[in-house]
Amino acid sequence: MGKHERLTLIFFALLLFLPVGLSAVGELLPAGYLLRVVSSALMLTSLALAQNVLLGYTGYPAFGGIAFFGIGSYTAGVLSKNLGFPLLLSILAGGVLSLIVAIAIAPVLMRLRSHYFAIATLALQLALAEFVANLEFTGGSYGINLPIYRGFLEGYLFYLLFWAVALSAFLLNLYVDRSVFGYALKAIREDELAAESVGVNTVLFKSLSFGLMAFVTGLTGGVYAFWITYIDPSSTFDPLLSVKTFVALLLGGVGTTVGPIVGAFSLELISEVVWSRFLELHGIILGALIVLAVLFLPRGVVGAKG
Amino acid sequence: MELFVQLVVEALLLGSFYAFMSLGFSLTWGVLNILNLAYGSFIVLGSYLAYTLYTGLGLDPVLSLPLSGGVGFGLGVFLQRTLIHRLMNFEPFMVLILTFGLDILISHTLNLFFKADIRSIDVPYAEGSFVFGSIILSEVKLVVFFLAVLLTLLLFIFLRFTWTGRAIRAVALDREGAQLVGINPSRVFLIASGIGTGIALSSGNLYGLLQGFTPFDGGSLTIKAFLVSIIGGLGRVESAFVGGLFLGVLEIFVSFYVGESWKLFVSLIVMVLVLLFRPRGLFGGRYYGEA
Repeated sequence: MGKHERLTLIFFALLLFLPVGLSAVGELLPAGYLLRVVSSALMLTSLALAQNVLLGYTGYPAFGGIAFFGIGSYTAGVLSKNLGFPLLLSILAGGVLSLIVAIAIAPVLMRLRSHYFAIATLALQLALAEFVANLEFTGGSYGINLPIYRGFLEGYLFYLLFWAVALSAFLLNLYVDRSVFGYALKAIREDELAAESVGVNTVLFKSLSFGLMAFVTGLTGGVYAFWITYIDPSSTFDPLLSVKTFVALLLGGVGTTVGPIVGAFSLELISEVVWSRFLELHGIILGALIVLAVLFLPRGVVGAKG
Repeated sequence: MELFVQLVVEALLLGSFYAFMSLGFSLTWGVLNILNLAYGSFIVLGSYLAYTLYTGLGLDPVLSLPLSGGVGFGLGVFLQRTLIHRLMNFEPFMVLILTFGLDILISHTLNLFFKADIRSIDVPYAEGSFVFGSIILSEVKLVVFFLAVLLTLLLFIFLRFTWTGRAIRAVALDREGAQLVGINPSRVFLIASGIGTGIALSSGNLYGLLQGFTPFDGGSLTIKAFLVSIIGGLGRVESAFVGGLFLGVLEIFVSFYVGESWKLFVSLIVMVLVLLFRPRGLFGGRYYGEA
């Protein structure tokens, strides 16, 4: 294991004790605010690491991967609100349903490559948002209100859940980076035809990679739903979240295990500073940041050949 | 039956606008292999330009069309030269992210100046309509229809009969081949990008005439331009017309028989299906994306 990867594990260990540390210093720091910022950073980390498995190691840019964030949120929301499922089970179900949907559509969808694949997944994401907005049991375009969580570890539970998903996503990336499974994915990324001809079942491995991305993204969406307590189609199938995931990957370095985490935390910190200082200009600055990130780091996805 | 005829007429009027609107998107896609996600925002930019000229100087959006086109051309050349040109040798997916960033930048800048209120350009002929038997034709829609058809025709003639137009088509068909016969692709890219953005901004004038608009209309317009381009297939003006009419019919009939709120959903699903199963469109121009 590399030096940076060990440091990242230590970083995760420290984050676990952040709530304890914050409550120890008491009123000195705005604890609730800090936990919220780190929670969003961990959320973006999970999304970036999930996308990294697909884009970084397999070379397929699922620009609309956030579709599974929406599926995860809505599955968790509907199951707990309409059918009374317990919290953790609803979140897990969101991940599993995302996985099933992904595996089902992958063989057809992944016949497309590069920006055609990207745009097709984005269209699916937007179509799903429209679909959910037109259904009854999802609350239509008004969305779903979820009850505020009270009980064990109240106030820390969602932070810990985001932490757990992000850590699992990191471990998944470590596994993909150095396993035979990961070699198969990288072979697809470098040259799909060549991979096929030396006996890699490309359809199977591409689908698995897509499924893993969807599973982690779906879990993240489920945690988000309970954390934010209100979900609607435009916030859970948000293209802005898609592009933030990709910018995080570009900033940190795609196709590496540690890069997505660095990228997600820096982007979230930049956003937070910009949010609090220049509320009016937030969109403009974000847009400019995206343009600059692409211009100056175009090799960000150099591993992902078209 | 009368109702059906009315719907068909509406679809035709709307479809011709969509066809013209999408020509810029399909041109830059075909020639530069760029999917421009900021395309819809360029259209909205044109609408706000026409709006400002109309409320400020009383200039009719029809008269400010050449101005929008010119500003758009300059903007397209500028963007190609400063941004997109640098990314031509990288993975095309990067341009997708870049243009998404541009889209956010443009829509939020417009929002800063104009706020999110719905604006409309209330020309004197906005309310008028002709009645033919049981068919009602709104004057504005007719004006937009004729302008859209006229401009599409002009572009058709330009691409078919002028040297520059033929050079553009040649680069779209075969970049290396075009270079061999002495065409400079970089120059063609600049011109194509300029024309594409010019079409976007000038169709913004027409869009402003047709309906009210907000800074955030760009996304749905981009989707429409995409759908029109992919249904017709790239590289030919005629096929954009087929795509435009298809989208017009789809929107009008789905809105009427299924419900307004399903319109976008159906469009998106059709888009994904065409992308997956008929990537050459219904009329075949060649694609870069085909394996």
